[in-house]
Amino acid sequence: MPRLETRGVREPIPARAGIGLRAVHHDALVAERPPVGWIEAHTENYFHEGGVAVRALERARSNYPLSLHGVGLGLGSVDGVDREHLSRVKRAIARFEPALVSEHACWGHAGGEFFNDLLPLPHTDEAAVLLARQVAEAQDYLGMQLLIENVSAYVTFGHSRLHEWEFLAAVAATSGCGLLLDVNNIYVSSRNLGIDAHSFINGIPIGSVGEIHLAGHARNGNVLIDDHGSQVCAEVWQLYRQAVDRFGALPTLVEWDTNIPALATLVAESRRADLILGEARGLAA
Amino acid sequence: MASLRELQSAFAAALRDPSAPCPVRPAGNLAIYRNNSTHSFRAALESSFPVVRKRVGDDYFRQLCMRYRERYPSRSGDLHWTGRDFPAFLLEHLHGTEYAWLGDLARLEWLHELASITRIESALTAEVLANFGPAQLEHLVFTLQPSMSLLASDFPVFTVWQANQTDNAPPVEQSLPGEYGMVRARIDGPEVRQLVPGLFSYLSALRAGAPLGEAISSAGLDQEGVVSALGFVFTDGLVCALRDGRSEKRES
Repeated sequence: MPRLETRGVREPIPARAGIGLRAVHHDALVAERPPVGWIEAHTENYFHEGGVAVRALERARSNYPLSLHGVGLGLGSVDGVDREHLSRVKRAIARFEPALVSEHACWGHAGGEFFNDLLPLPHTDEAAVLLARQVAEAQDYLGMQLLIENVSAYVTFGHSRLHEWEFLAAVAATSGCGLLLDVNNIYVSSRNLGIDAHSFINGIPIGSVGEIHLAGHARNGNVLIDDHGSQVCAEVWQLYRQAVDRFGALPTLVEWDTNIPALATLVAESRRADLILGEARGLAA
Repeated sequence: MASLRELQSAFAAALRDPSAPCPVRPAGNLAIYRNNSTHSFRAALESSFPVVRKRVGDDYFRQLCMRYRERYPSRSGDLHWTGRDFPAFLLEHLHGTEYAWLGDLARLEWLHELASITRIESALTAEVLANFGPAQLEHLVFTLQPSMSLLASDFPVFTVWQANQTDNAPPVEQSLPGEYGMVRARIDGPEVRQLVPGLFSYLSALRAGAPLGEAISSAGLDQEGVVSALGFVFTDGLVCALRDGRSEKRES
């Protein structure tokens, strides 16, 4: 396993806005070095030993603190966690030395087939116990705490007995993981399923959140689709202010994965989050 | 109440088959997950096989993706490996048809995909040969760049691939002779290169671990060809290590 010649920025992720690292921005990020607090990369895109993407992350990594964000473990799958996938996550951690590593509160495979999507879990005690156990096992294997993100939902299970925030709080308390609060996902789920977004945020225990995600979404008829393809909407900015009021200034990522704009546009969007974080720090001072 | 296993099993069945009982509500929204999953699978294949897609058109490529997925569903949370069996699927699916060449084109594109993620090892220059006596040269065994793959096809797939690196490429006449070539990682991305048969045989033998003398014989190279072939592997940075194969045998 080759090691980074330059260890890169090793400080913890600051309580500032960061941006998602996308291939179309690789060159611009290195050339322009925009004043973003940190970068987040999708873990699975950097599993490999070589290639343009891996070298681009190594270059970017030397300028910014890094968070690795996985989408493929499916930690809530009853068939268990793919050990090979988990070992690749471990190798990526050893290679890129991220300050944060995150995954999702979802499942992704059954009967040997992977669906390559963030599939929803019923909010039951059984699902919370299983997810917490598999998160704890992954943390033990990886040697670090994970942040677990709430996913956007388009359906509900009649079997759910817990509110989603109770479910997440139980998983965090049992497994020792932190939470990655995706405010856009809260908004999308609240509009699709009639959940009270404010109650969701107020139901998450203070001190359990380690990172916040912001993103845009699309509308398809009456359904909001979490497509990460546009600016953050006004309602999500409002919820973000509520989250920052409750949890304090936290590392905040602006995700933009489809219809990806110029790097300057993404950086400008992250500046909006930085202004709100700055206000929170000012109040706390 | 259904167990989590039963729920995930029912959800998975409903993803595969829209007519299966749906364990969630509103049932219509399960199509969002089904579409996401289908889209991710197809997008991975589109990314790995852009030339196959270009030659068959979007509609037929979509059909091929669907049939491929029925036969080879995703087995990984890492979408990068989705296309691993696509060349074999096409070879089998199109066997005996006028489109059989698409299987070899897919093989070439998959090698390109693999070269895009393989590490480039530091290469030796020809000066290293000075460390060996004249009598040792024919016994030298080369370790070549791990990203280098060789492909022989009964079809002109290298010509097809090259022609389709630009938009609106015309079809290539499939009655043209078969071709040989290599794919390897370069610092700015994979390189695809057609090879003459002699050089292909020589590289194939070296890749298989044959000593230099044997590789030269098997390729039927004349003296000029030997100099050219030896120069090729060094000037192209393909040699990562070399050793005297005899000393290795003695040691073992």
